[in-house]
Amino acid sequence: MAISKSKDLLGQLSQLERTVSEFSFEELNTNDANELKDSFNSFRNSLEKHIYSPKTAQIAHKKNETFDTVKKEVSEKQFIANVSHEIRTPLNSIIGFANLLKEEKLTQGQHKKVNAIQFASNTLLNLINEVLEYSKISSGNTNFESVEFNLHSLLKDVMFLCETLIVDGKVELLIDIDENVPKIVKGDPSKLSQVLLNLLGNAVKFVDRGYIKLEVFTKQRNDNEFLVEFSVADTGIGITQEKIDTIFNGYTQAEDDTAKKYGGTGLGLTITKEIIEKLNGEIEIDSTVNKGTTVRFRMPYTLGKTTKAPINKLQKSTDKIDSELLAGTEILVFEDNKMNQHLIVEQLTQWGCTVHADIDLDKGLYLLSSRKIDLILMDLKMPGQNGFEVSKAIRDHKNSRVNSVPIIAFSADFTEQDSKDCKEIGINDFLLKPYTLDNLLNIILKNKEIKNEQTDFSSILQKPMIEPKETTVLDLNHLMKDCFGEIDMLNELVKLFKLNAIEFIGNVKIHLKTQNLKEVALSAHKLKAGFAMIKAEGMRNLIIELEKSCKTNQPEKVEELYEVFLSDYPILEDNINKSLELMNKK
Amino acid sequence: MGKSVLLADDDQLLASLLNFRLKKGGYSVHHSANGKEVKEYLKNEMPDIIVSDIMMPYCSGIELIDYVRNELKSKTPIIIISSAGNEQNVLTAFELGANDFITKPVSPTELLVRIAREINK
Repeated sequence: MAISKSKDLLGQLSQLERTVSEFSFEELNTNDANELKDSFNSFRNSLEKHIYSPKTAQIAHKKNETFDTVKKEVSEKQFIANVSHEIRTPLNSIIGFANLLKEEKLTQGQHKKVNAIQFASNTLLNLINEVLEYSKISSGNTNFESVEFNLHSLLKDVMFLCETLIVDGKVELLIDIDENVPKIVKGDPSKLSQVLLNLLGNAVKFVDRGYIKLEVFTKQRNDNEFLVEFSVADTGIGITQEKIDTIFNGYTQAEDDTAKKYGGTGLGLTITKEIIEKLNGEIEIDSTVNKGTTVRFRMPYTLGKTTKAPINKLQKSTDKIDSELLAGTEILVFEDNKMNQHLIVEQLTQWGCTVHADIDLDKGLYLLSSRKIDLILMDLKMPGQNGFEVSKAIRDHKNSRVNSVPIIAFSADFTEQDSKDCKEIGINDFLLKPYTLDNLLNIILKNKEIKNEQTDFSSILQKPMIEPKETTVLDLNHLMKDCFGEIDMLNELVKLFKLNAIEFIGNVKIHLKTQNLKEVALSAHKLKAGFAMIKAEGMRNLIIELEKSCKTNQPEKVEELYEVFLSDYPILEDNINKSLELMNKK
Repeated sequence: MGKSVLLADDDQLLASLLNFRLKKGGYSVHHSANGKEVKEYLKNEMPDIIVSDIMMPYCSGIELIDYVRNELKSKTPIIIISSAGNEQNVLTAFELGANDFITKPVSPTELLVRIAREINK
């Protein structure tokens, strides 16, 4: 595993280097370019040092002769973990500076090359994160916990999440829990969800039509110890026995080229297998090509003693009164992990909150200054961006509207140092993962109140928004049809549309200052067609209203509508980007 | 060679979409966002059909019809793009000799049908 993955890593790296060296930094002549170059060089040096340093070579050599292979493997994994970890820091600077570089005035050719740098470094980062996770688990550096949890609720949560992943209704998701399966068990709930999400997520990826079925039953019972058998069956494309062998054994058999074949995602099942085995479980795959796949795994659990185990149930009974209190709350979520992000957005939306997730620092700051955000949820240990740094940047912002929003941090582990750092930065509260929905609800309510005290009555003035605001809704499908399904044309039109909207914002700002309502009306008039094209009827009506108010000479109303436009347009644009991204993927 | 269309519209977004669709429909397209420029162009070249927005900088669609019919003495079909609720403009356009009109928001498919109908008359 270690060697083939390292090879892959080196391959990616030389691709990255090729792109960087083809890039004409001299032409660019900016500080960013130099810093990017420096970062890259230090990155390469640190990597080379790690791979070729005499110390490691010596150890590897010695091991071959004297130590048994198991120990060698562990040490190799440890080594890879260390290397991967240290590569991430300079790699993050490469990505960061490439982002900055993109904001400069670049020629088309340069722009393309920066894109290539970004693409290669992001691929590399994903690969490193996977390698890191794998080696963490297999070298025993992951903490496994043993707590009581509600197994039935966990299964329902997982299924609920998977349902949201199925886009077209052609795949049915079935669940069958045997009545003998106990409710409260003792074990590691977060690892179980990770395993299930991985297997079900894979199934969703490879099944076009038919069903995906999760069956759970208890296999064997000795007093309060028992095995729970999980089976994930699907009607997908299936996999050959050869591939199954590679996935399950291949990575440990060193020099193998399969890693290349499976690209960056090949580790998912291997990680799953490692987790199950670390928890003293077993896993097997049964698959027929073009018919489907069944993955079975068994995990030992002990019977939970209390019935007061954390309730990780989704909505339903979660008291209506509490969730009503949250309706209309607007929350920023910094969470890199897509699954967690998805889950938290689903839940908060059900509580009636407006949620902005999938954001980076820049976008977050923009939203904080342009909207009335009540609360920030911050994952401290994000692989891509550091939660401490993001929080600090928010607290250091000069705009009091931005820097005063309460921040709740969450993390899977929380050390003394973390606690100190949080206090220093000004993070208001924290939540330990895995948290229950009650935990989440309570901590949000608690911290939202702090904000309410600070801002007096401003939050009372805010109307609750349970439904997405009309002005932020759109539908690109119509325009896509007008483009005869040509995605490039659609991309082009959307780009033009966004430019028009920005031009409108600027024009109106200028003409409102001089009370030139005629010009404002003209700008509004021009924007109408665009909103009609993307079927953003709510926003189009707002623009029509604004144009009318200009013609009937009501400057106050014009200004009021313009304010609404300013606050809602970013969300609309965000929604445009999201649906465009989806269409591009298709 | 397909029939030629002169597209006069200062709405870049709509013009891009129409341009794309017209070309897909086998037409050759000349697009201009400026009425003055349109007049210059027409001095040297007469397309098979003119599609023009009413509101345009330097020379409105109404003026353009007047120019084509009374100065250039051309009977080239003209389709006017008008905003909703602007009946007066449409009536004036017809009086001056416009052949057809389409109301915003414009459906490209509908416009193409109207263009084909005018050209094949």
